[in-house]
Amino acid sequence: MSETRTFSMPLGPVHVALEEPVYFNLTVEGETVRKVHLTSGHVHRGMEAMAMQRNFYKNATLVERVCSLCSNSHSFTYTNVVENALRMQIPARSRYLRVMAEEIKRIASHLFNTAIQAHIIGFGSLFMHVMEVREIMQDVKETLYGNRMNMAANCIGGSKYDLPREKMDYLAKQLDIIEPQLREIQDIYANDPMIRTRTYGLGLLPQKDAIALGVVGPVARGSGLKVDCRKDTPYAAYDELDFDVITRDGCCAWSRVQVRMAECFESIKLLRQCMERIPEGPIVTPVPDFIANEAVARTEAPRGEVFYYVRTDGTDTPVRLKWRVPSYMNWEALGVMMKDCKVADVALITNSIDPCVSCTER
Amino acid sequence: MEIKRFGDSELIAALSPLATGENAVRQTADMYGNSQHWFRLDEPAKLVPAAAELAGKGARLTMISACRRVMETLTQDICYHFELKGMLYTLTVTLTEACPAVPSITKFFLNADWHEREMIELYGIPVSDQPNPNRLFLDEVLDAGLLNGAVPLSVMMNGACSTDLWERILQGRQQKEAE
Repeated sequence: MSETRTFSMPLGPVHVALEEPVYFNLTVEGETVRKVHLTSGHVHRGMEAMAMQRNFYKNATLVERVCSLCSNSHSFTYTNVVENALRMQIPARSRYLRVMAEEIKRIASHLFNTAIQAHIIGFGSLFMHVMEVREIMQDVKETLYGNRMNMAANCIGGSKYDLPREKMDYLAKQLDIIEPQLREIQDIYANDPMIRTRTYGLGLLPQKDAIALGVVGPVARGSGLKVDCRKDTPYAAYDELDFDVITRDGCCAWSRVQVRMAECFESIKLLRQCMERIPEGPIVTPVPDFIANEAVARTEAPRGEVFYYVRTDGTDTPVRLKWRVPSYMNWEALGVMMKDCKVADVALITNSIDPCVSCTER
Repeated sequence: MEIKRFGDSELIAALSPLATGENAVRQTADMYGNSQHWFRLDEPAKLVPAAAELAGKGARLTMISACRRVMETLTQDICYHFELKGMLYTLTVTLTEACPAVPSITKFFLNADWHEREMIELYGIPVSDQPNPNRLFLDEVLDAGLLNGAVPLSVMMNGACSTDLWERILQGRQQKEAE
């Protein structure tokens, strides 16, 4: 009778199925993963230290470069935290403009993650199709903000760009184009036999573990937790808009993708309401003198809650600026999700948390 | 700012006796009326009963923010941010020369592990009973507490009108002499 042997298997830091560099040390028995050890630090850039060398205005540009997919969420939360510290109110029109920028980014981000899942599964044609549909939102960003990733839409006190009616008409037209295509994609991810076989029941994160680990975003909502900053502590114009918090209770990779797909439709709903209800008026308010204070702020980025803390001393440079991204909370859940999975599923389970290494390490 | 959403009054009542200094308990609100609660704990040891209280209520640890050491007083603040039913609670502890370490709260909040390891490597803060005190992001060849050690350019430029830079140099020299 042959003896079962446990051995160590490295994966990464650069791997064809990983979006960014991260190193896994897997303890495996045959093809079965028994333990996961994660080593990070490959793209640590010391951005928090840099933030404490720059003034508040320059930091709005810096934090938008923490990550590309949720770049807007960083500048959004950062401007919120500085405005909280300065006890500022922003104009009503800007509150709607901020929601619009965020929801446009959310659709593009969710589609990127779902496309990568198809790529990992080996469903090449679906990967290309989803990326092609995503291009509609990329075009929207470029047309409305002049950039496909870092939109620079937010500034302390409001928004940098107004959206005139003709640009809103363009956005409305693009939403009408993308919506039926998203319905088709949603159906494929829900029912295609290949997708279901590879993802249904894979990477289980039971609800009790999701609570214990404090996971956020679609990872939490895919385990049935109804948590969403936009509803729990509304900010910008979210408390004036109608939308649902999407949850699924499968606790698996399939459920997380279902959450993301359904959230794209909620974003479309939010964008249409914004275009209809946005009030006229100024888009930015003057920044008052800096005061000594401390403040916190959080928003719901595509991957979940982004949290910022700032401490000020009355100068134009923060004494401390600290942020925590959703992936930071979700990485450790991989230990639960990968327990006793097959080696071949490691990349797929990793993708299901929509990880962002550059966000996590800063 | 008009407060539209309040915090948990039972939790606030339970945490308040752990923060008895002047202005040690504060309530603020963001620009949308969401209340935020701040507690400056009397000493780092009070973090354990405070964390137990928050965990018992089902709160979630959202972040730990260590601040840079203040050279004039050799004190260092650490802010622990929690969320419960959407409301935010921040506990601040101050490390001093007499009390330079902070207890780990991983037994109450599993996700404290990464946050504590990050403040160990960036600020060199001793965390007692940390079950996994390994480096998180930075390579082992780099000194712990880098953010305490580095002298920012702004401080260097202000060297002529503040004592901060010279205190750091003096402290470095005294350390070398002691070795």
